[in-house]
Amino acid sequence: MLRLLNFAVIGALVLAAGWVYEIKYASTRQAERVAKLRVEIRREHDAIAALRAEWAQLDNPDRIQILARRHLTLKPIDPTQYDPLDRLPEKTIDLFPPGTTDPIGALIETMVDPEVVTNGDPEATGSIPDPAAKTPDAEVAQ
Amino acid sequence: MTSTHAVLARALGSPAVEPWRRRVIRSLLYGRNTDRAAKSKARVGLALIGFATVYAVIALRLVMFAVAPEGHTARRVGNQDAVATARPDMLDRNGEILATDVRMPSLFGEPRKLIDVDEATELLTAVLPDLDATEVRERLGSKRGFVWLKREIRAQQQQEIHRLGIPGIGFLAENKRVYPNGAEVSHLIGHVNIDNQGIAGMEKWLDGQGLADLHRAGFATDSQQKPIELAVDLRVQHALRDELIAAAEKYKAKAAAGVVVDVNSGEIISMVSVPDYDPNNPRQANDPTRINRMTTGVFELGSTFKALTLAMALDSGRVTLNSSFDARVPLRYGKFSIHDYHAQHRVLTVPEIFTYSSNIGTARIALSMGVEHHKWFLKKMGQLDRLRTELPESAEPIVPKRWGELNTVTIAFGHGLSVSPLQAVMAISALVNGGYLIPPTFLKRSQQEARALATQVVKPETSEKMRYLMRLNAEKGTATKADVKGYYVGGKTGTSEKVVGGRYAHNKLLNTFTAILPADKPRYQLLLILDEPQPLKETFGFATSGWNAVPTAGKVIARIAPLLGVEPRFDLPPADQLILASARSSH
Repeated sequence: MLRLLNFAVIGALVLAAGWVYEIKYASTRQAERVAKLRVEIRREHDAIAALRAEWAQLDNPDRIQILARRHLTLKPIDPTQYDPLDRLPEKTIDLFPPGTTDPIGALIETMVDPEVVTNGDPEATGSIPDPAAKTPDAEVAQ
Repeated sequence: MTSTHAVLARALGSPAVEPWRRRVIRSLLYGRNTDRAAKSKARVGLALIGFATVYAVIALRLVMFAVAPEGHTARRVGNQDAVATARPDMLDRNGEILATDVRMPSLFGEPRKLIDVDEATELLTAVLPDLDATEVRERLGSKRGFVWLKREIRAQQQQEIHRLGIPGIGFLAENKRVYPNGAEVSHLIGHVNIDNQGIAGMEKWLDGQGLADLHRAGFATDSQQKPIELAVDLRVQHALRDELIAAAEKYKAKAAAGVVVDVNSGEIISMVSVPDYDPNNPRQANDPTRINRMTTGVFELGSTFKALTLAMALDSGRVTLNSSFDARVPLRYGKFSIHDYHAQHRVLTVPEIFTYSSNIGTARIALSMGVEHHKWFLKKMGQLDRLRTELPESAEPIVPKRWGELNTVTIAFGHGLSVSPLQAVMAISALVNGGYLIPPTFLKRSQQEARALATQVVKPETSEKMRYLMRLNAEKGTATKADVKGYYVGGKTGTSEKVVGGRYAHNKLLNTFTAILPADKPRYQLLLILDEPQPLKETFGFATSGWNAVPTAGKVIARIAPLLGVEPRFDLPPADQLILASARSSH
């Protein structure tokens, strides 16, 4: 009985030793991985910092302005081009009159009509009339 | 317990069996009447406790090893960062980066570990041609443990030198401060030296906030420091700078400067002084023509100061908007006589004095208030003391030592007292924001925080009247060219002659213009300065403020107002209906 217990204890000891060895080995591996990841994180941080700096440099308004002047036809916004949302007119146009036999055809008809979409001028976007300068555009809007 | 043992012993008959000799030894060893069984039990217990303690200590130690971070790895990283003096990023109010750290390798040598100095020198100068060979040889030949060879080399060069495999040559990653926006925010943000210590602008302020101590102790290695948010708006800064450079070029001015502040919080949204410098290459910063004119320079601001004089008079209650003053003839004072630039030769009301920018009228108003009152008011408005902001650079105003009536006469229209422009901006903000004098700041600040710092210097009614006068000036005074439709701008011009050799020079002007927008409920104030603008054909030979500073301000306002979220309104009545009527109805 006692002998059996002894053998069982020895067996458990061997198992425990093996298990401890395994854990130690795994922990060393993990520690190495942690160190490696730390270095990697550090490197990534540095790279992020460098890229952020570069992005900020590329995003510099001075540079954007030069590029925009060279490549775009956009112009600075005039105060008359702003309008508050509450002055937005109600949507009134029905896309097709009720009771049409060919609704899809009528829909296409409405969509392609440049008068409805762009007010006649393909370049124009919505704006308030400039009270100082009476442009033909302003006449149309009024 | 003892009795049971005795019974047990008697039952076994041990005392009878035990021979006498053994009994003697036993009594000698343990004493005559001791119970061995109890004693051994206590001993086993003691041994148990002893072992348990030892195992507990071992277990505890194991747990400690497992829990504690690896000091080993941390130390290795720390060594690499020995000279890394990280600084927090600086962001503008929208989170755009104004200054950040980038890690750059630096080359060092350890002369004691070096085998062949000449060979090392030869190899290094082959990779880095800009390295001075004799200097390198001298440094490597010294007996020191550590010498810098070159700070901030490129990653590619690092690779090449690494491949050479010279013993005693190594790299340290150092933080290098970069300013992605270049000269755009130069004066405001300042710059750092090669060791990443702030030596000007907000960078210097940052060092004063405890960062310098961190650097010295070597703890500023964490690149995760909290970024500093400034009040400046990069987009506004760019727009202002762009227009100022254009204006300085167009009017052939020596210099131009401008500042935009939030009148309700004292935040400096933008501050530009051209010519400026690139903080990435701060050698130009020492050039005296590139000083920050907004804080480091003091100027006689001319008619802009009339706003202060009028506010003083209106606030005292002794002068109203309907009061009138004689401006028919030049004001004689001793051997001096004060003239008007836009002379009307008649009795002017207070609003007329402001819109015609009448020197005579303003001087008479100031005289009617008295010298002491004038001095007291300017002191209250912070015009006689040095203005301290976060920026280390600041200039003391030049105040006359003996302040007589003549001084009051001239200071009333902005001559004879030199202040830094930022100081005047603070005072004019107070005149239009309801009377609160708020110290300006370069850091983000809410209106509530500003209110807590503010002191009420003029009555809210006076502030309403000043808004009216400023707006009136843009409607029919000297500032009409800055009246950008939709933004309800108000403003005051100032043209002052510069003192050259102790006398006022008629052809050397310092033009200022201060604008508020929108004038009925001001949110922002803009101050522009043009230093010695020249008359042009387009300006019909005029060089006064209304012909150059004012149109420039108009352009700036048209650009920055949308960025600042000022909504354009088109159906507003003129100033005497909108501002004055509301001022009258409120009291």
